[in-house]
Order: sequence, then structure tokens, then C-alpha cells
Amino acid sequence: MRNLLDFLYKYHHWLVFILLEVVSVVLLFQYNSYQGSVWFSSASAVAGKVYELESKMTAYLSMAKENEELTMRNIYQERQLDQLRRLYAEATKDTTAAELKELEFLSQYKLIPAKVVENSIHKAENLITIDKGRKDGVEPDMGVACGNGVVGVVYLVSDHYSVVISALNAASSRISCAIRGRGYFGYLHWYGGDPSVAYVEDVPRHAKFKLGEWMVTSGFSSIFPSGVQVGKIEQAYNSSDGLSYKLKVRLSTDFGNVRDVVVISDKSIAERAALMQAARDSISFKQRQ
Amino acid sequence: MFLSLLVAQVLILNHVHFLGVGTPLLYVYFAITFRRNFPKWLVLVSCFLLGLFIDIFSNTPGLASSVMTIAGLAQCYLMNLIAPRDSAEDLAASIKTLGFSKFATLSAIITGLYCVLFFALEAFNFFDILMWLARSFVSTVLTMVLILAIESVRSR
Repeated sequence: MRNLLDFLYKYHHWLVFILLEVVSVVLLFQYNSYQGSVWFSSASAVAGKVYELESKMTAYLSMAKENEELTMRNIYQERQLDQLRRLYAEATKDTTAAELKELEFLSQYKLIPAKVVENSIHKAENLITIDKGRKDGVEPDMGVACGNGVVGVVYLVSDHYSVVISALNAASSRISCAIRGRGYFGYLHWYGGDPSVAYVEDVPRHAKFKLGEWMVTSGFSSIFPSGVQVGKIEQAYNSSDGLSYKLKVRLSTDFGNVRDVVVISDKSIAERAALMQAARDSISFKQRQ
Repeated sequence: MFLSLLVAQVLILNHVHFLGVGTPLLYVYFAITFRRNFPKWLVLVSCFLLGLFIDIFSNTPGLASSVMTIAGLAQCYLMNLIAPRDSAEDLAASIKTLGFSKFATLSAIITGLYCVLFFALEAFNFFDILMWLARSFVSTVLTMVLILAIESVRSR
């Protein structure tokens, strides 16, 4: 017994070492699961505050460029909207109905504006911290977009901050997207490296598209509504098993320069999730019988 | 020292991506400068805490803390190997006390070990051996340059 105590006393720093390593490794692996703790991330109150101050200081420097981009996009979309309204009116000879439908469609989504307080693009698994949290109505699994396109999906939420899995996250980001106007869909996947290029996988072989066409979100994933811009198709490859296409997409979001984002809260998501759950339950019930 | 290294790393150095591969990990300097015969458990715990705070800020829980703890342990033993036998019992590692070449060797070993382990763990499910080596090497060099620069200013 005495020997054991002596031994422990002599090598107690090894015990401390092993204990600390175990704590670290638990943290390292637990965070990868979906229930990671908010306390050990930049969504925690102190870290969030520090990053918020930092980003406020640097925000002014990039404002001019972002404003310019947003204005351009605004003008472009106004023209597009105008044209579509005219076409719709010509097709149906009815203008009031169109406006009503539009309002109905837009009221389905609640947009929560937020500011990016921390962001990275050089890691393999990039995360973004934004300054809105549970008290502002943000929940995990909501989509996040900026003026130029998709940004990511909310992952962890604290009272006033949230961590978003950036679309530039090689391990965890899979955003369902489709070719605009054609409907063929696949999953957006980023492999690290260049922050402006990602790949869309599982596009069926019979899909027809042209290089330079736009990829938009498909709306199937119940995270993003359909039609949020993702990027332009730059090249098409065969997948390694030869059963589908893999498209190289030039992302429209400049991830190195995102400041203002919106969190998209879709009221119909809860309804759809409940429906999906009901369907699953009834299937498993039938199987049990 | 703890706070200034933390702030410098989080606000400035984490945004440095030299050639897109190297990030200086200056906080490892914290582990290098402990006194000889400083209680080992205290070295380990304080290294762990600094790593943990860095992790909290950079969304990598467990990554820096685990490798910092290893660096702290390595420092305890390397100090005894590298420091001259007849030197003071509570010798602190610096250019002044060890001389340039010995201090550079000590910090190069710890920094190199740190960067290699850090990037290996970071790339855990995304392994690319060339990228790993490049990142470890460039980061080690950058960190060493910073450490030696700070150290030569301090030893004046």
C-alpha cells in the first residue's frame, strides 16, 4: 500500500496528464456528434462578445464592397420580378391574383437578419458564428443565406449567438440543390481547398443542363426554401461509379466576405417534419403487425 | 502572458494563413518558458487551460487543449535534457539563460511536435498527407520566427 502511494506520489503528474488528455479527447469527439455543448464553442457568451466587438471594428472596412454587390443584385432582381409579373399577367390576364399569391408565398418564411461575428474559410471544417440566438427565434437546422446565396445551416444555438455549419464544411455540410428551371437535384459538397468552388453530387445521368446555368436550393431538405442561389455550373464530371454526374460549381457567395446574413425560418418545416414522422410511425407500425 | 498570448492568437494570428497553409500557433510559447522543477501538474493544468480557451474561441474543443498538454509534458523532460547540469534549479528557458542554440533547439522540438500533432488531429477525418506535412512545416517555421523574435526582444 505504501509502495503504491509512493509510486502515485512520484508519478502524479502522469496521472494529471492522462486525466487532462481524456478530458480533451472526450471534448474532441463529443463535439462531432450533434449534441455538442454550446459552452465550448464560440457561441458561448464571452467568446461571442469578443468576436462581436472584433467584427464591428472590421465591418466598416468591407461595407462599401458589400453594398455595391447588394445594390447590383437588387437591381437585377427587380428587373427580373418585373419581367415575370408581366409574363404572368399576359398568361393569365389577371394581376391582382398574382400579387396575392406572391404575398402568401413570402409570408410563409420569416427572415431573421443577423451579423457574422466569426468566420473561417481555410480549415477543412469551417464554422460561422452569428449574433442571433434562441431569444431571437433562431433554432438548429434553420438555413442561413446572404444577399448572394446560401451560407450554411444553423448547428448550435445559445441565447444570443449561434454557430452555423458553413457550406464550406467538408465533413458535415450537405445542402440539397437543383438546377434552376430544370429540377434535377443533387447534394452540394465541398472538399476543402478553394473556398469559391464546390461540387454537386448525385445528379442523375439523364439530367439535361448547360454549363453556366445556375444551381439553386431545391427546397427538398426542409432547411432552405427552393430557389436560393448557390452558384454557377462550371464543369461536369462523371462520378467515380459512373452512375451520376458530379458538377463543379462556382459558388455565388463570397465566403471570405460575408457580414450580413439572414436566418430563414420556415413555418411549414415543423408541419412537414410532423408529417414525415407520422409517415415513419405508420410504416413501422405496419411492419410490426 | 496567458491572456496576452490568448488575445494575440484569437484576434490576430488565427486570421493569418500564410500561402493558405501556415498559421502561426504562438501560444505554444507559453509551454516553452516554464521554469525547471516547476510543479509538473501545474504546468500540465495551465497548458491545458490555455489550450481549452483557444479551443473555445476557434470552435475546436479538445484539439488545442490535448496537444498543449502533450507540449507541457514534453517541455518538463526536454528542459532537464537540454539545460546544463550545473545551472540553477529554477532555470527558466530563454535565450539569456540557455544561449541561442539551446533555446532554439528546445523551442524547435516543442513547436515542431506541437504543429505535427495539432494538424494531424485537426485533419482527423480528412486526411491528405502532403497537406498535413506542408501545414505542419510552414506553421512550425512561422511560429519559430515569432518566438525567436519575441525572445530576442525580451532578452535585451
